[in-house]
Amino acid sequence: MLKGATVVGVLALQGAFAEHFAILSRLASSKNIQPLLVRTPSDLAQCKALIIPGGESTTIALLARLAGLLEPLRAFVTEKPVWGTCAGAILLAESVEGAKKGGQELLGGVDIKVGRNGWGPQVESFEAALVVNGLKDSATPFKGVFIRAPVVLSITPSASRPPIKIIAQLPSSLVPIHSEPPEGVDSSNEPDPRTIVALRQGQHLVTTFHPELTKDDRFHEYFLRACVLGSE
Amino acid sequence: MASNTAPATGPISGVSTPAELPSTAHISAPHVANSRPKDGGASTVGTFGVKSGLAQMLKGGVIMDVINAEQARIAEEAGACAVMALERVPADIRAQGGVARMSDPKMIKEIVDAVTIPVMAKVRIGHFVEAQIVQAIGVDYIDESEVLTPADEAHHINKHTFRVPFVCGATNLGEALRRISEGAAMIRTKGEAGTGNVVEAVRHARAVNTAIRHAATMSDEELYTLAKDIQAPYHLLKETARLKRLPVVSFAAGGVATPADAALMMQLGCDGVFVGSGIFHSGDPAKRARAIVQAVTHYNNPKVLAEVSEDLGDAMVGLTIDPNMQGGLLAKRGW
Repeated sequence: MLKGATVVGVLALQGAFAEHFAILSRLASSKNIQPLLVRTPSDLAQCKALIIPGGESTTIALLARLAGLLEPLRAFVTEKPVWGTCAGAILLAESVEGAKKGGQELLGGVDIKVGRNGWGPQVESFEAALVVNGLKDSATPFKGVFIRAPVVLSITPSASRPPIKIIAQLPSSLVPIHSEPPEGVDSSNEPDPRTIVALRQGQHLVTTFHPELTKDDRFHEYFLRACVLGSE
Repeated sequence: MASNTAPATGPISGVSTPAELPSTAHISAPHVANSRPKDGGASTVGTFGVKSGLAQMLKGGVIMDVINAEQARIAEEAGACAVMALERVPADIRAQGGVARMSDPKMIKEIVDAVTIPVMAKVRIGHFVEAQIVQAIGVDYIDESEVLTPADEAHHINKHTFRVPFVCGATNLGEALRRISEGAAMIRTKGEAGTGNVVEAVRHARAVNTAIRHAATMSDEELYTLAKDIQAPYHLLKETARLKRLPVVSFAAGGVATPADAALMMQLGCDGVFVGSGIFHSGDPAKRARAIVQAVTHYNNPKVLAEVSEDLGDAMVGLTIDPNMQGGLLAKRGW
């Protein structure tokens, strides 16, 4: 372990945690971080920041509860930087539509409402080039891989938290065709929330797609630089 | 990675996969994906990247066989990362005999409507029309499965032409790479379904691992010969040898009945586990399902495995694997 390295955890209960871990490992020496797979409360206690990977959000939430991680995770989100990709984005949302019968446990922490499987079944999963502000070499599009992705339905600002900052959007032609425009959205002066696929609130980052499924480590570099190591 | 045959809007920086997994660009066949440009933006559906990507999201999870919406709900509550919709679990197919086919679309649709997790469905080996029908229903994954009665004794489905991804069974490395060559985005062991006996799944996982370790030590000249011997495409074999693992997600299946069975397969290097008859043919399905889910997450932690294995009630009755057994050897199906 590098001296004084910042420990960045990847929640390793189910899903694509190995992919996040591999990208963090590649960035470890240049960013002076130490990646750690998190399966227990004592793993989590060592972390200064956390990535919640893609996977099945219902499975991850259940495994978190069974491992005694649900409350420690909720406490972690109130204090430290967390990045949720896809299923992780669902868990960080304040509310969710289209959850399983009987509802779904969330961690909360980011003032958004999301809809599960926003684009429909797997045959609607897609790739699209994204222009992302703030990334290194931002003129080069980032390959967004959307797999049964959630959709942001609304921003639900709360006074106690920093404002939401949009990081990446899809063109309006690519919003889910079967979803109704959310209430209260005036497309003339504010963006349709359904076009938002990456956003920041304070030190938290949310992406509805999977940067960990590409070989492009710019999103991980961005999270470490902007949210974790605090230079922005 | 040089032979990039990905679709027009394809990799900006190379599609990838688990850390260990390669760029999939070289696996995907041409003319697979459908570009659907609209005003102001384009997206591409059905790429090999999104097909293998869904399998990556299932890793570390348990996929459970269910025969109706009620079982699907129990599986979802127990933490299944996906469910497999089928009319009869393998143990019943084995016991009842006859031709086993694709399930009634109505039943599959009821299961799709009942849960939020991905739904898979089985089609017969080579029966591409069953696959077209199941894709039209909107399932998330298709299992071209030896558990159903094969519809073609020489050919598997050309899986590249579908937007929905496929998982296929394999008993050895050559078979796994042939399936990937045909477009499978996920591989599983065949095991011996419906027996509650994990020995065949272990045999298949070990056979693949041993062959990959062997291939990883070989020179190119030797790999050409090995490719011929195991009837696998050279480029996939070469990539597998470089990665020291299969180039797609690889699950265990066939005979897994207990949390210990599931953890065994994970420690043998599988990325996740299918459980067929083992759950709903046991004494307390919900409890056993949850225990197997926990065992797959904590597969390297014997203390947790001991806790979750406690007091699960009766496991399904296991069968000795025997060529003359009822229903025969399903793992021999597939070419």
